[in-house]
Amino acid sequence: MAAEAPRAAVTLVIDGREVTVPKGMTVYQAARSTGIDIPIFCYHDRMPPLGACRMCLVEVHKMPKLQTACTLEASEGMVVSTTSPAVRAAQESILELLLINHPLDCPICDKGGECPLQDQAFRYGPGRSRFIEVKRDRAKPIALGPVLVLDRERCILCWRCVRFGEIIAGDDALKGFERGFASEVGTPRALTVESKFIGNAISICPVGALTSRTYRFKARPWDIEPVASTCAHCGVGCSIWLDVRGGEILRTRAREEPEVNDVWLCDRGFLGHGYVAAEDRLTNPLVRWEGRLQEASWDEALGLVADRLRASRERGPGRVAFLGGRRLTNEDASAAAGFFRDLVGTPHLDHRVDSPPDGASLGVSWGLRSSLDELGRGDVFVLVGCDITEEYPVVWLRIKAAIDRGARLVIVHAKRLEVRRHAHCELLDRQDRIAPLVAALAAAGAATPPESGDVAGLAAPPAESVDLAAAAATIASGERVHVLLGRFAMDGPDGPDLLRSADALARRVNGTLHIARGQGNDLGAQRFGLLPGEGGMDAPGILRGAAAGAFDLLYVAGSDPATAVTDGAAWQSARRGVGFVVVHEAFLSATALAADVVLPVLVLPEKDGTVTNLEGRTLTLRAAVKGPGQARADREIFDLLSARMRFVLGPGTAARIEPDGLAISGAGAHSGDVREGTAPFLIVAVADRLFTQGSMTGRCRGLSDLAGTAHCLIHPADAARAGVTDLGLVELATEHASVVVQARVSDVTLPGQVIVHRGYDGVPVHALVRWSPVPVGVEIRPVAPPGGEPQ
Amino acid sequence: MATEAAMPESALLRWVRAEGMAEIEQYRRAGGYDAARRAATELTPDQVIEMVTASGLRGKGGAGFPTAQKWKFIPRAAPVKYVVVNGDEGEPGTFKDRTLIEGCPHLLVEGILIAAVTIGARKVYVYLRREFYRCRRLLEAAIAQARGAGFVGERIFGSDHAVEIVVHPGAGAYIAGEETALLESLEGRRAMPRQRPPFPAQAGLYQQPTLVQNVETLCHLPVIIGLGPERYKELGPPVLFSVSGAVVRPGVYEAPLGVTLRSLIFEHAGGMRPGRRFKAAFPGGVSSVFLTETDLDVKMDPDSLRQAGTMLGSAAVIVVDDSADMVEVMARAVEFYRDESCGKCTPCREGTAWIAQIFERILHGHGRTEDLALLEGIAAGMTGTCFCPLGESVPPGLVASLRLFRDEYERRIAVGAAHGR
Repeated sequence: MAAEAPRAAVTLVIDGREVTVPKGMTVYQAARSTGIDIPIFCYHDRMPPLGACRMCLVEVHKMPKLQTACTLEASEGMVVSTTSPAVRAAQESILELLLINHPLDCPICDKGGECPLQDQAFRYGPGRSRFIEVKRDRAKPIALGPVLVLDRERCILCWRCVRFGEIIAGDDALKGFERGFASEVGTPRALTVESKFIGNAISICPVGALTSRTYRFKARPWDIEPVASTCAHCGVGCSIWLDVRGGEILRTRAREEPEVNDVWLCDRGFLGHGYVAAEDRLTNPLVRWEGRLQEASWDEALGLVADRLRASRERGPGRVAFLGGRRLTNEDASAAAGFFRDLVGTPHLDHRVDSPPDGASLGVSWGLRSSLDELGRGDVFVLVGCDITEEYPVVWLRIKAAIDRGARLVIVHAKRLEVRRHAHCELLDRQDRIAPLVAALAAAGAATPPESGDVAGLAAPPAESVDLAAAAATIASGERVHVLLGRFAMDGPDGPDLLRSADALARRVNGTLHIARGQGNDLGAQRFGLLPGEGGMDAPGILRGAAAGAFDLLYVAGSDPATAVTDGAAWQSARRGVGFVVVHEAFLSATALAADVVLPVLVLPEKDGTVTNLEGRTLTLRAAVKGPGQARADREIFDLLSARMRFVLGPGTAARIEPDGLAISGAGAHSGDVREGTAPFLIVAVADRLFTQGSMTGRCRGLSDLAGTAHCLIHPADAARAGVTDLGLVELATEHASVVVQARVSDVTLPGQVIVHRGYDGVPVHALVRWSPVPVGVEIRPVAPPGGEPQ
Repeated sequence: MATEAAMPESALLRWVRAEGMAEIEQYRRAGGYDAARRAATELTPDQVIEMVTASGLRGKGGAGFPTAQKWKFIPRAAPVKYVVVNGDEGEPGTFKDRTLIEGCPHLLVEGILIAAVTIGARKVYVYLRREFYRCRRLLEAAIAQARGAGFVGERIFGSDHAVEIVVHPGAGAYIAGEETALLESLEGRRAMPRQRPPFPAQAGLYQQPTLVQNVETLCHLPVIIGLGPERYKELGPPVLFSVSGAVVRPGVYEAPLGVTLRSLIFEHAGGMRPGRRFKAAFPGGVSSVFLTETDLDVKMDPDSLRQAGTMLGSAAVIVVDDSADMVEVMARAVEFYRDESCGKCTPCREGTAWIAQIFERILHGHGRTEDLALLEGIAAGMTGTCFCPLGESVPPGLVASLRLFRDEYERRIAVGAAHGR
């Protein structure tokens, strides 16, 4: 930054006002900088100008024709008028032309009241129309997907939504079809729109052409109270507006935050509020009496929990364990850590409920090692087992922008990622062979393919598209290399080896290794001490300890281990081995169903507080709505328990653990042994997905529709061998369990590897696998006869 | 073709009219590829540009930009440069490029080679109109023959130059004939014109310096080098006119720049069809404002036509006789623009559709007297507000027709009113 040369300035006159702006600015920007409004439709300040709508025409002295202010660079001595008679006439013409085929159905249009077309027609329009012909008549509305609804009559063809997909998201979700007056926006091949960012297209639509099924006809802008808050779904921590009407959140919108999400949001965030108002929220404490969970008063429930905690303490220290943290605020996490560590007196705390013991997740602190802003200035990005658009979509927007400026993307994964067409190199191999692939990549100048001796002789197909030398050279060419290590790789076999290799790779090029791990407020839980203390067990250790009878009481808050633990059986046996389970929950989750006491809690949009995002930034939450019934904040529950147990919970007692430095611990260092023997012919790999049907996402309208049915991805070659047809139901059977899911035959996965997406409550894919040994072989059988009706 | 004998020596059409010019042996026997060989092996780029400058050659696609000047805009030092041939001949009434390619595809290949070696482009794309199936077959065959002779590919004519030529069929959009829309289409996107600057010469195809040149323009190059610029200029310089409509012999005619409209119609094209009188003519395709009987002696060159309020454009002369109703003629022209507007900018997309609706109403006997002022009003709103010349082409002709043939509009409206609505 310091080396940046001072930019030359130009001075021009706009409407008689002298303005000095940096060279390179457009007349539109210069006018705006001095408070002069020039009407626009197609221009959006996050995209290059297009000059299509012609609304921003201005008169420039000595130029024969009117000029579009959005495309014209301001130059020295320019004299511009935005209000001359010629400009006014042009503005009236353009607005008249935009309105001749517009249905003018403002009274029933969602955009009414916040509509640029409405506002500008009022301010710059001709007042009346000379149009007496028949307006353009189109079938409407048409659904372009489970969420996106298009009204082609309202569309003024500003091309913003199309260009958002081309320029910002890089997903080409919407395109222009037909020509001239028949032009329309649509999806490629008229298929369902494929995007994880379509909420942004809706937001930047300057008319009511693109609307969301979840918000259509729900409210008028003037009836809404926007609450500034933070989205805590994926961990990026996007700033949002929660639009509230009548005590219900009706809409989520991006709130501008240049350091984090700029003005964008992913669709999980866009649609991720519905669960708050779900009808099946828990409103009263539940206590297991006579084998059944029954409603109880807070007094009864807390009394019971306090008694059990007291009794356990009398039997000795460390006989209580705590799991969870993802859905807690920083304040909740701090209170929980203080309560259990300092007052209950146990070191057995861990928020990393979804981490397997052999993976890399437990050996390193999670999060980015740079700010998102710095990440966005990288020149080489290496995604190692990180499916960026499925896990941290808004981070992708920064990477995409960097690629457009010349940065290069290298993908190392077992899956053909959606963003692969933006990649410079792609190294693909099965999940169980990613670690050796990264090791080979880390060996400087390595030009030989990864050693696959330990799986030699198997029928498993060889690595695809391996061009290791090219990838290594690309990475070496970077000056600001960012390696993002994702859960898919970290939870695979040989985690510690993988971590060391990834670290070595980043070090070799003086780059930054990011641990792209953690959802919700996992980073806040990590920071505020929900980690094993001195002599404490980690999450898998707690589960194993519970199974072995080491604990009197297991306390769960801000997590649903019954579905989150990657080894379903480990949770089952843990539950069986512990006498008493207390759960904070908003819903009757699988964990809550197995609990002895369930305490109803507020969810994040109902709480004031803070969360910590992936980069360690503290972000503010504001309670947008009140919670249901007697639900309380987690922190309040710990306060009440402290009081009841005559503890005093002081502020700041929890140890803060900052995620700086890459401390690779020896956890799970016994790798190597697990990979002996023969790798199975067809393995199952569990992957993350943005659209899921979890306890929260499954209760969000739109989001659960986008998630669709639980499914697995199977390569066409394997599908043919197993007689599996696309979209048919299949049974996936491992030596541990079997589940029935929909099969999607796709070369997104590799031969020899079935990918199952987690996050569908009710489909226990985590029962298929065990923590070890990995990889796990799977058999796949069609359930319905080919061609038969599924379900 | 009795009149042809009286014509001066033809510089371009002689290649087209001669037999067997699709075959490289025949073309070479007639002196073909000598000019390209000289450009590749003897002449420096500066010498070629000098000759083209001296010839006064201007682009034949419609805009009439001086060719040599365009070449000088291409940065010499740029590592990657392209030549893109605009063969998307779509302007109504224009068929000279098709005639050239079908008659003598090697002339275009030779022109391409001269342009490519002069600006230093190794790759050439010929964006050919989709419907030109015969052109495509002949051109691809000619390129293959030239490759076989060592004129296309690596080290052409034994020089250090390498030139690859790719023929790319368009997808059927008039707007793709606009050079920046053509580049968009060539890159695989929807054909919509780009914002200029940057101009293609700075950042064109794939953001690299690109010379976009019309087919006929390139076909003039071997002639200029072959005859020398002085002799070439003495021939007019020659221009290919596509004459169509109500004449006895529609066709492509080579005539010196500045030939009168009268001469083109009444000498070259054999005059009006029997029993018919001249009424109007578009001198440069439908995009140009038509001329009427009082303009018959106007000289067909850019400056004279500009003074007459119109333009030479693609030199496509569409002749209208007294049997035609000008309201119908204009309605047809407006429908063309409505159908071919790319949809990018508001005034063109909406304005052409609106005007077409009004014309349809008038033609169906539902015109109103105030429609004429409305048409003028819409035309005024489109003037100077459109993104590219397509939309801007509509108002001048429309306004001229309202001025010069207002009685025909009024008659239509009156007849409609008399028949009741």
